[in-house]
Amino acid sequence: MILNHYFKYFLLLFISLFLFYFEALANDNLDNKVKSLTLELRCMTCQNQSIYDSDAEFSNDIKKIVKKKFEEGKSEYEIKQFLVERYGEYILFKPLFNFKNLFLWAFPFILLAIGLFFLIFLNRKNKVS
Amino acid sequence: MSSLVGFLCLVFAVGINIFLIFSKYLLKLKIVSFNILIRLSCILTLASFLSLIYAYLVSDFSNFNVFQNSHSDKPLIYKISGTWGNHEGSMLLWVSILSIYAFFFSFTKKIDLNLKKLTLLIQSFLHISFSLFIIFTSNPFLINSVIVHEGLGLNPILQDPGLAIHPPILYAGYVGYSIVFSLAVASLMHESNDLEWLSIAKKWSLISWTFLTGGIALGSYWAYYELGWGGWWFWDPVENISLMPWITGLALVHSLLLVKGQQILKKWIIFLSILCFSLSIFGTFLVRSGILTSVHSFAADASRGLFILLIFFIITGFSLVVFLLKFPDNNKPVKFLFINKVSALIINNILMIIATLTILLGTIYPIIIEVLTNNRISVGGPYFNSTVIPIMIPGFLLMSIAPVLSWQTNKIKNSYYYIICFILISVIILIQSYLTEFNSWGVIGLILGVWIIIASISAIILSYKLKLNFKFLQNINPHLAHIGVGIAIIGITCSSVFQKEYDYNLNTGDNFIVNEINVVLDKIETKNEKNFQALRANFLIQEENSFKNVKSGKNYYPVSKMITSEAGILHQWDRDIYFILGDQKDEKWFVKVYVNPFVSLIWLGIIIMICCGFIGVIRK
Repeated sequence: MILNHYFKYFLLLFISLFLFYFEALANDNLDNKVKSLTLELRCMTCQNQSIYDSDAEFSNDIKKIVKKKFEEGKSEYEIKQFLVERYGEYILFKPLFNFKNLFLWAFPFILLAIGLFFLIFLNRKNKVS
Repeated sequence: MSSLVGFLCLVFAVGINIFLIFSKYLLKLKIVSFNILIRLSCILTLASFLSLIYAYLVSDFSNFNVFQNSHSDKPLIYKISGTWGNHEGSMLLWVSILSIYAFFFSFTKKIDLNLKKLTLLIQSFLHISFSLFIIFTSNPFLINSVIVHEGLGLNPILQDPGLAIHPPILYAGYVGYSIVFSLAVASLMHESNDLEWLSIAKKWSLISWTFLTGGIALGSYWAYYELGWGGWWFWDPVENISLMPWITGLALVHSLLLVKGQQILKKWIIFLSILCFSLSIFGTFLVRSGILTSVHSFAADASRGLFILLIFFIITGFSLVVFLLKFPDNNKPVKFLFINKVSALIINNILMIIATLTILLGTIYPIIIEVLTNNRISVGGPYFNSTVIPIMIPGFLLMSIAPVLSWQTNKIKNSYYYIICFILISVIILIQSYLTEFNSWGVIGLILGVWIIIASISAIILSYKLKLNFKFLQNINPHLAHIGVGIAIIGITCSSVFQKEYDYNLNTGDNFIVNEINVVLDKIETKNEKNFQALRANFLIQEENSFKNVKSGKNYYPVSKMITSEAGILHQWDRDIYFILGDQKDEKWFVKVYVNPFVSLIWLGIIIMICCGFIGVIRK
């Protein structure tokens, strides 16, 4: 059986890579950029709400700043840096990838690796017995 | 008076449980008298809880807890639900549910008597720990030192029918795992090799999981219409805390299924049982200590947090020590093939645990960083979306075919049919999404959801003969549960990815068009209700020739000087139109409208899962 059942996993992987490639091209207008960035920012005056979703005065100001900075040609990274300098890292819902947060970001991958090793181990043990 | 009765009942219940624990060493109690004492302690605990409810019902402000959290103006239902709308009362509810579970467990037959005794003893120990916590740090029966005639009122955001029944159901889930925990630890200590306890554990873990599902669903439905943020899941720390035992419990239910295939991962099951309940207690600690920033604002108190942390360390530490000392041997090797039912279940279990631990780390990481570096950081939705969801995707894929996998071989019946089906679904959805609106997460979610539903339906048709009786329903139950998940995935994907939102500034009488529907801001009115003032905007929605009214607005609660938003939602089977009334500026009202496609599918899927949970509990 050539078309065995692993096939569909490869297919899915392939499709998803393909799709992300397209999305990167499609998502380029200003409003979308502002939306995707402000969704990742915390409204400092609300309870656990993103700046995009909030209508608080603070959020509206930040939305304007983000839009202005994008129009000036600043990159997403530069805008985040600017906001972090001004308000602290607390404003980012998605923590920066830096030394302090290395463990946070690496953790799921470490767990995945452990899980994988465990599966291989289980498989080996079975073959032996 | 009722406060005194309640307090004494609780103290007596603790006394009985202490007596039970000592009786193990001092005198040999017969199982009959043992059962009676357990039930008596349950009745006393309930009496204590009922007397607190009574104090709330009659607005007995000589009770300090009632004075702080109630008001004589409140409608009857919120007087009752106010009992658990605060820290002290909700802890008493916790203990009451714990004793109710012990009560029902004491009726279990077909179990080794010593194992049963041991389980109930551990249950007694839990009862004592949490009762002492209540008595020493959060006593709901304290007497008010001054004479007052009016209370301070319940947090208005909690005055809602959904939230009135949310805590008892959620707690029924959390606390239900205590039985599974006690059983697992008791079986370790008992060192017996019989496996009867596994089927009993399966029943109790399914019951708790079903309640927990219901509780979480109620909470998120409440968040959907009460918070007025347009969504229903926010990765709020307290939501994460409820999600962790939920996922672990799901893994537990699935690994208990392995018992059916004669292949038992006893170690793993015991570990999961311990983990599940430990996560429940740890969650209680995180919420009660107030160290988390969350929508769930409870009174913060360091001594409470420390006490629960102590309980957590004693219980988890004790169980882990027992686990390490009396490590069960796995006599039978598992039949692990790529890919049969056993390996699919193991892989799914691993993925669920990875997801749980990732959520756990993300939830407590800001605390760790604040302690270590004195910096405040946030870990929110975007982090969880980009870690937890990709981890779960292979699990969802496995889930769709898992029930048709075989125990012994790695061959799937009708595999060609499934492959062709999957490719067809993917192609159709891809084309459809290119023609309408393209989003890669949307495509992945839709393919997963539709595939899970179609694969499960095909599996039912191909492997069972259709009969209309309960036995057939039990046989196809796992497939039905998975169909529920598939439906929920479609709902979740559509409502989050394809959500549309519109902002308007309107005068009364203005009309606007949302998704080809004509809407008029008809009028804005204020009304005085029993304990709040309501500001309501009436939206007239014109559909073909009929008109529908949706009211959206705000409530002002004068007692606590708080404003809550009341979203107006037009429910249709294929979408919700969600209206939020903002502030008035220059004579114009700010109105925000969300169009959430297929939200109803989320609730439908969850209801199916809950029904399947109950069907699974009923014995074959």
